Amino acid sequence: MYGTAVAPPTGLPWQRRGEFTMRNFVDPKVVARLQGLALDARTPMIGSVSGRHRSPTRGSSLEFSEYRKYVPGDDTRRLDWRAYGRSDRYYIKEYEADTNLRLCLVVDVSGSMNFGPDGSQAEGTTKLDYARRIAGTLAYLASGQGDAVGLYSAGQAFQKEIRPKRSGAHLKYVLDELGSMKAEGETGLPGALHQAAERIAQRALVVVISDLFMDPEVLKGAFQHLRFRKHDVAVFHLVEQNEIDFQFDRPIRFVDLEGAGPLLVDPTTIARQYRQAVQDWLEQLRVVFRDSAVDYHRVNIEENYADVLARFLLARKK
Amino acid sequence: MTFLQPFILFALPLIALPILIHLINQNRHRTIPWAATMFLLQAKRMARGMARLRYILIMIARMLAVAGLIFAISRPMSGGWLGLTTSGAPELTVVLLDRSVSMEEQDPKTNRSKRETAIEKLASVFKDLGRNTRIALFDSATGQRFDLNSPEALLELPETAPTSTSADIPALMQEATEYILTNEAGRTDVWICSDLRQSDWNPSGGRWESVREQLRNRDGVRLYLLAYQDLAPDNLAVSVSGVHRRETAEGAELVMDLKITRATATNDPIQVPVTFAIGGARSTENLELTGTQLVRNGHTIPIDRESKRGWGRIELPRDANSSDNVFDFVYAEPAVQKTVIVSDDAAVADLFRLAAATPSDRSLVYDAQIVPESQAAVIEWDKTAFVIWHAPLPTDVLAKQLESFVAMGGCVMFFPPESPTEATLFGTQWGQWREPSDSDHFVLSRWRTDADILGNTLSGTPLPVGQVATYRSCEIVNENATVLAQLEKGPPLLLRAPTDQGAVWFCSTLPTTENSNFVSNGITFYVMIQRAVARGAAALGEARQYDCGSLKSTVAEAWTPLDDISGRVLLSQRTINNGLYESEEAAFALNRPLSEDAVEVVSDGTLEQVLNGLNYTRIDDKAGNTMALASEVWRTFLVLMIVALMAEALLSVPEQTLRVVEQKTIKRETAVQPAPFPKRTSTLKT
Repeated sequence: MYGTAVAPPTGLPWQRRGEFTMRNFVDPKVVARLQGLALDARTPMIGSVSGRHRSPTRGSSLEFSEYRKYVPGDDTRRLDWRAYGRSDRYYIKEYEADTNLRLCLVVDVSGSMNFGPDGSQAEGTTKLDYARRIAGTLAYLASGQGDAVGLYSAGQAFQKEIRPKRSGAHLKYVLDELGSMKAEGETGLPGALHQAAERIAQRALVVVISDLFMDPEVLKGAFQHLRFRKHDVAVFHLVEQNEIDFQFDRPIRFVDLEGAGPLLVDPTTIARQYRQAVQDWLEQLRVVFRDSAVDYHRVNIEENYADVLARFLLARKK
Repeated sequence: MTFLQPFILFALPLIALPILIHLINQNRHRTIPWAATMFLLQAKRMARGMARLRYILIMIARMLAVAGLIFAISRPMSGGWLGLTTSGAPELTVVLLDRSVSMEEQDPKTNRSKRETAIEKLASVFKDLGRNTRIALFDSATGQRFDLNSPEALLELPETAPTSTSADIPALMQEATEYILTNEAGRTDVWICSDLRQSDWNPSGGRWESVREQLRNRDGVRLYLLAYQDLAPDNLAVSVSGVHRRETAEGAELVMDLKITRATATNDPIQVPVTFAIGGARSTENLELTGTQLVRNGHTIPIDRESKRGWGRIELPRDANSSDNVFDFVYAEPAVQKTVIVSDDAAVADLFRLAAATPSDRSLVYDAQIVPESQAAVIEWDKTAFVIWHAPLPTDVLAKQLESFVAMGGCVMFFPPESPTEATLFGTQWGQWREPSDSDHFVLSRWRTDADILGNTLSGTPLPVGQVATYRSCEIVNENATVLAQLEKGPPLLLRAPTDQGAVWFCSTLPTTENSNFVSNGITFYVMIQRAVARGAAALGEARQYDCGSLKSTVAEAWTPLDDISGRVLLSQRTINNGLYESEEAAFALNRPLSEDAVEVVSDGTLEQVLNGLNYTRIDDKAGNTMALASEVWRTFLVLMIVALMAEALLSVPEQTLRVVEQKTIKRETAVQPAPFPKRTSTLKT
C-alpha cells in the first residue's frame, strides 16, 4: 500500500496563489477529509508505472501471488530454491504486480445539467456544478495517489477529450477544462460513452457523471461496451428531488433545457403519471446497471458531495 | 321552478366563474426551466384521457357548487308542477273555488274533503310565495269576489266553507277574466280548484270561447287547474221531487218521487237504510239498490190528516260525501200549476195550452190560460208558475214585470215571433229565421242530459230529443247563455239565459208542423213544458222548493228555521246551504241542485278543448292528500353545493398517500449496490 501525497488541507497551491479561480469547485476541506480514503479500482489495471492498483500481470511487488511450475525460458532468478529443497521440483514464485490507474472522468454537459434545486440556474447550484465538484475532487485524489487523470465531456457529441496523464500540470489542465465546461444542447451521452470505450486504449476507471435523462435501453449498450473493454465503470446519477417528486400545485410553463419547446402543464392532472414514469425509469436504470456491473450511485444534488464521495470511496475498498 | 328571490338568478352567469378563474390561472402560470421533460411528455401521454375527464369533472363540480349556492339563496320552491315554471311570485293571484256539493267528497282516512284539501294547499303555497302578491277569491256559490288579506284567510272565511250549491265555472272564469283585465294586473296566477264535474264546467257553453279569446292575448296569465276528479265509488246521493200531500180514505199521506244514485256503475245489490224524518218523527226503511240508481215514483208516507203543512228530511247513512245524503222538503196544499201563454197565434197557443194543461201528476191541478200580447199586462203574476211568451220581446213595463216575475222564482220560455224585433230581454235578442240549406230540416247535434228541462228522466233514460226535427229556426243572440240543445249547422234549439232566480229559456222554433216535429214527436215537447211548469210551481203556494244558490241571500234574512240543523246555518249562508225555513206566507226547502248528483267529469280531451290556447298547468290531486303543492327546497341545493365541493376536493387533492410511498422508495434506493465483480482467480495469468 502506498501512501498518498496530497496538498495540505488549508488550501491548494494554486488557490493560495489566487490563480485559477475557476477551480474553486475543489474544496480543500473536502480533499483533506477524503485524502485518507484511496481511490481503488475494482478490477486490475494495466498501468505504465508502478502504483497502488492491482495489475493483471505478475510482477515483482512484495505481495506474493502464487507458485507455478518452471518452464524453460523462465527467469531462473525467480526460482524458489526453498521449494525445490522441500519438494525436489522447480517452482517459480510469482508476486502481484502493482500499477497505476487511469481515471477517465466523463461529464455530461447537456442542457439538462444546467438545472439546480427548484429549477434554479444560479452559479454553483446546478447539476453541472455538482458534477464539477465530484469530478474535480476525484481528479485531485487520483492525481495525488499517482494515477493518471483524463477528462471527457459529453454534449451532443464527444466534445472534449483529455487523455489520462499523471503530471501535476495535467491535473491543472483537467481542472481548468472542468471549470470552463458549459451545459447546453441535447445530450449525446450514449454516443460519447461508445467513443470513450473505443478511445481509451487500456483498462481504466471510467467515472460517468450525468443526470441520465434518456432511454435506459440506449444507455445499456453504451455501458456494456465499456464493460466489454474491461473498464471499471462507476456512475454518479445526479437527480434533483423535485424532478422525482414533482410537487407543484399550479399550472406551470416548463421550458426544456435541451431546446425542445415549452410545455404548459397543470401538474395536478399529471402528477401521478409523472411519478409513475419516473419510477419506471429508475427501475429500468437499476436493472441496466446491475446487469452491466456498473458501480451506480444515485445522488441528490442537494446532498453534501463530500459525503457522496466518501461513501463512494469506502464502497470501493477492497 | 318558482323562486322567491328570482332576481338573484341574474347571478347565474357566475356559474362560468370557475372556468374564468381557470383561464386566468392558465395565463398567470410560472415559467421554470426543466430538465426532465421526457417525463412530462410521457405523463401527458399517459394522462390524456383520465386527466381530461378529471379536469372536466372538477370544472363541473365547481360550476355545480356555484349554481347550487345561487339557487339556494334564490329560495326555490318545488312541487311536481312547479318544476315547469321559472319565475317569482305573481303580482295577483286569483282563486276560483268550486264550492259545489260534489267538492265535499271526503277521504275516509283523513276526513278531509276535496274543498278542504284544496284550500289548505293553496294557503300553504301562497304563504310560501310571500305576501307581495294580492289574492282574490272568486266563490262559486255566490259568484262574488273577496280580496284576502292573507293566505290564512282562505282557511277561515265563511266564503270557503261548504255549500249545497252547484258551480258555474265558466261564469266564474268570466268574472275573473274581467277582473284581471280591468285591474291590468301584471303577472297573474289563476288557480281553479274543482272536481271537473261536467255539470259545473258546461264545456259546450259559448262562454268559454270569450274567456279563451280574452285570456289568450293576455301576457303573464297562468292557469293552474287543481283537479280532484276521483270519485268515491260507494258514494250514494238521495233526492226527492214532486212532494205533495194527498188525502186518502185512512187519512192523509205524502207522495213523492224518491231517487237514490250510486257513483259507480255496478250491479251488486245493496240494502240502503233510508231515514224519513217528517216533522221530527223519524222512521227508517231499507231499500235495495241495484245498478247505479233506485227510483221510487209515488213513494208514500202516511201523515196526520190534520197536518196540512209541514216539513221533512230524507237521510242516508254517512258515506264519502255527507252533503248529498240529505234532502229536505216541505209540503202543503199544492198550488195550481198555472201556465199563461202569451200569443196572438191561436193555433200555436193551443199547442202550448195542450202541453201545459195536460196533467203529468193527477194529484195536482193544472191550468193554462191564453192571453193576447195586448192583454199581457193583466196577468196575475203572483199566481202564475210558468209563462210561455210567443210574441215579440216586450219592452218597458211588460219587460220589467217579466223580470220581476222571474226574480220571484217564476219561469218563462220565449218562442220566436214571425217578425222578430231588435228588442233585448234577459240579455237575449231574436235574430233572423233560418232554414237548412242542404236538407229539409236541421238535425240536433247535442243536448244537455245531466240537468235542466232536457235532462234524463229520474230512471236515467234520456228523452228522445234526438228525434226532434227542426224545419225553421230563429237565431238567438246571447253569448252568455247556456246552450241546452244545439242544432247542427244552425242556431241553438234551446238555451237558458243566466238569471239569479227563476228560469228563462229561449226556444228557437215553434211546435207547428211548418217549423218542427214537436207535435208529432210530442214527448220531448211535453216533458220540456211540464218540467218548466213544475219548476215554476215550486216557487208558488205555501210549500216552495228552491235550489241552493238560486236565491239572493237577502231573501232568506226574514225566514225562520224549521229545525235545529237549519238554525245553525249563518244568516248570510242560508240560501247556499240546504235547510228548512218558513215565513208568514210559505215554507221553504233549499236543497242542492240535482245536477250535482251527476258524476260525469270533463274528459281530458274536452278539457284540452275548453282551455285550448291558454297557458295552463293541470295538477291532479286527491281529497286528503297531505303532500304539499310546493315547498322551499333551498336545502336540497345547499346539499348539492356541499356534495359538489366535496367531489371537487376529492378530485383536486393530490394523491398524498401515493406520494409519501414514492418518496420513501426513492430514498431507499439512493445507492444501488452494483453486482459484485468476479474474484480474481488463477486464470488471470499473463
